[in-house]
Amino acid sequence: MEIDRRDFLQIASALGLVGAAGGTNLFAGEAAKEKIKKLSFSDVVDFKAKGKATILHFCDLHAHLKPLYWREPSTLISAKNLVGTPGFICGESFQKYYGIQAGSLDAYFDTYNDFTELAKKFGKMGGIAHMKPIIDHVKKERGAKNVILLDSGDTWQGTAVALKTKGEAIVDAQNYLGVDVMVGHWEFTYGKERVHELIGKLKGDFISQNVIDNDPFSDDFEELIFPPYTIKEIGGAKIGIIGQSFPFTSTANPKKFTEGWSFALRHESLQKYVDMLRKEKKVDCVVVLSHDGFSVDQELAKKVKGVDFILSGHTHDPSPEPIVVNDTVIIISGSHGKYISRLDLDIKDKKVVDYSFKLMPVASHLIPADKAGEALIAKWYKPFEKELNEVLGTTKGLLYKRDTFYSTFDSLIGMAIKDEMKCDINFNPGYRWGTTVLPGDPITKDNVYEMTAITYPEVYTFDLKGEVIYKLMEDIADNVFNANPLLQQGGDMSRITGASYSIKISAPSGKRISDFMIGGKPIDMKKTYRVSSWGGNLQNVGENLDEKAIRPVYEVVSDYIRRQKVIDIPMESNVKVLDMDCGCPVKGATCS
Amino acid sequence: MKRRNFLKTICAASAVAAVTTPSMVLAKEAKPKGANALSYDAAVKAITGGKAVTKSDKVSLTVPEIAENGAVVPVKVNVESPMTETDYVKAIHILTTKNGNARSADVMLTPMNGKGYFATRIKLGGTQDIVALVEMSDGSFLKASKSVKVTIGGCG
Repeated sequence: MEIDRRDFLQIASALGLVGAAGGTNLFAGEAAKEKIKKLSFSDVVDFKAKGKATILHFCDLHAHLKPLYWREPSTLISAKNLVGTPGFICGESFQKYYGIQAGSLDAYFDTYNDFTELAKKFGKMGGIAHMKPIIDHVKKERGAKNVILLDSGDTWQGTAVALKTKGEAIVDAQNYLGVDVMVGHWEFTYGKERVHELIGKLKGDFISQNVIDNDPFSDDFEELIFPPYTIKEIGGAKIGIIGQSFPFTSTANPKKFTEGWSFALRHESLQKYVDMLRKEKKVDCVVVLSHDGFSVDQELAKKVKGVDFILSGHTHDPSPEPIVVNDTVIIISGSHGKYISRLDLDIKDKKVVDYSFKLMPVASHLIPADKAGEALIAKWYKPFEKELNEVLGTTKGLLYKRDTFYSTFDSLIGMAIKDEMKCDINFNPGYRWGTTVLPGDPITKDNVYEMTAITYPEVYTFDLKGEVIYKLMEDIADNVFNANPLLQQGGDMSRITGASYSIKISAPSGKRISDFMIGGKPIDMKKTYRVSSWGGNLQNVGENLDEKAIRPVYEVVSDYIRRQKVIDIPMESNVKVLDMDCGCPVKGATCS
Repeated sequence: MKRRNFLKTICAASAVAAVTTPSMVLAKEAKPKGANALSYDAAVKAITGGKAVTKSDKVSLTVPEIAENGAVVPVKVNVESPMTETDYVKAIHILTTKNGNARSADVMLTPMNGKGYFATRIKLGGTQDIVALVEMSDGSFLKASKSVKVTIGGCG
């Protein structure tokens, strides 16, 4: 019997796991537990092969060499026109959209539903030693020469071992996995020089058609910084791969790291490369390897003609099925090493005539670890083991990142900063990377780094007027909730501690936020508040910066957990959404 | 903090403060328009003398969707024209719809320029439209406009 993707989605039921009661807890009872164990590596890699060429893809590894728990969002709110579309679905709406069985391995990987319970059953996700056997399996099946591994970036940053080795440990891991081509975003926060050094160590290609020199006094003004494309031959076909690094790097991250480089979507020049690859280089298939974000790439596919596939990244969406816009097929492969996508191409007469796709979950319990991968991890962790393994305290509830407005680990960071800096209000960045710690589990220093390991970790404390705070929140809200995906930047709202507000997503720009309270009192536009923030650039607008109080956020948070010993963070958000009734609405912005 | 630094480091917030005023914010707080102030409509009138302006595909305006830095936004204007003695681009004006002074650049050209092209960088006080207003040698006015978003970005 052949198992295709549909069957895999329903694997729980196929294995007879659907309980007679039909309730949500499909895994009740010992008999059911026995059956879960029957899921195996072959279920992960089962695939209906097509043609001769295979592209493997992952994105947004965020330097997670080891397996981790990673809970998908329970709130993913967007502008009304985008609600319920891939990129803006979660939880129940995600399960419904893709027909995923509650309690299945897919439900555990793709949604937040029953996360803690399923985490105990299915174990950790990702890890390079578990990704490698999948890659090896596909290469063995198809022939190594017929397979390429593409990486959509946000690979070098996100853990202590990445930060402490300035990305080197991760490049070593990419070489181990066999990454052939990559693009970047957080990579750039190591600074221009280091980026070039690391590219020198990478065995694959780093490409980007949308990063150009921005220094009018330079001889290379408006010239490309990286090769814009590369051509790979697999399965007897020529594949042209064009790179799109994150178009908003210079506004999303400090400009100092990329001074003199200009980032933008540059769809006009992308079109030129597509045409050139087809007409002059005679490629059989055009692939855009992208860090634009899932919704931006859906817009991009409307503007640029002749792209066969966009392999997207940045927004961390797991997408069990491709999105097809005009003639372009778009895939995105989750985040944190949770998935490897397999895309088989059937190419005839210089055209892609068919393809098949599967998002393969890197379920660490189902995949025996590769020894070389474990050795690589051990080698890079060894110098830092003592520091990173320190247990700082334990958590009573689930600590997680993600969600549009609020998450418990962000709240913990906010409380730690507020406690040390004695500020009125604290801003935490709405990044989409981090980690998840299960209720009752210890919190290690490594976990804290997983939430905060950036090259600009300083917590700043300064004065801001109420009016400025209010307008900043409106500005950030417009970057998250703009109805035009091209004007979004792919993150979540900045998290605030010490304050609360209501938001009407569908209100015009500048008029979304109301009932803004700081310290339990309505915001006073004329009053000056003491503000702490990290990971952004708010300090540049502030006054009376306290130079002496500046400290790396991971030290501030670690000290707080050590003092508290037991962490207990409420699940309730401090933000009220006025025009959506749930966190995971379906199309039409309803919650049924 | 000096206004200059403020603009440099964080174009977005200053912009918002100077330009849009949500009802909650006191209008008095908005920056006064100084002696240099010139509204978009007044600027257009000063250039055209009230003549009609036609939107035209002949004028191509290249600007970023989102400004990397609101203090230096690259603007390119290219006008399709043979640039002969009888048919050439006489002037390219770059205007903004919401800056305190809407008039950012005025460039006079002759057939000797060979191309109806001009590129520069302008300062934007906030999210708004950039307009390329072009005077042709026959006295007609053409234009193209595009919106540019100015934001503090993915900040904390």
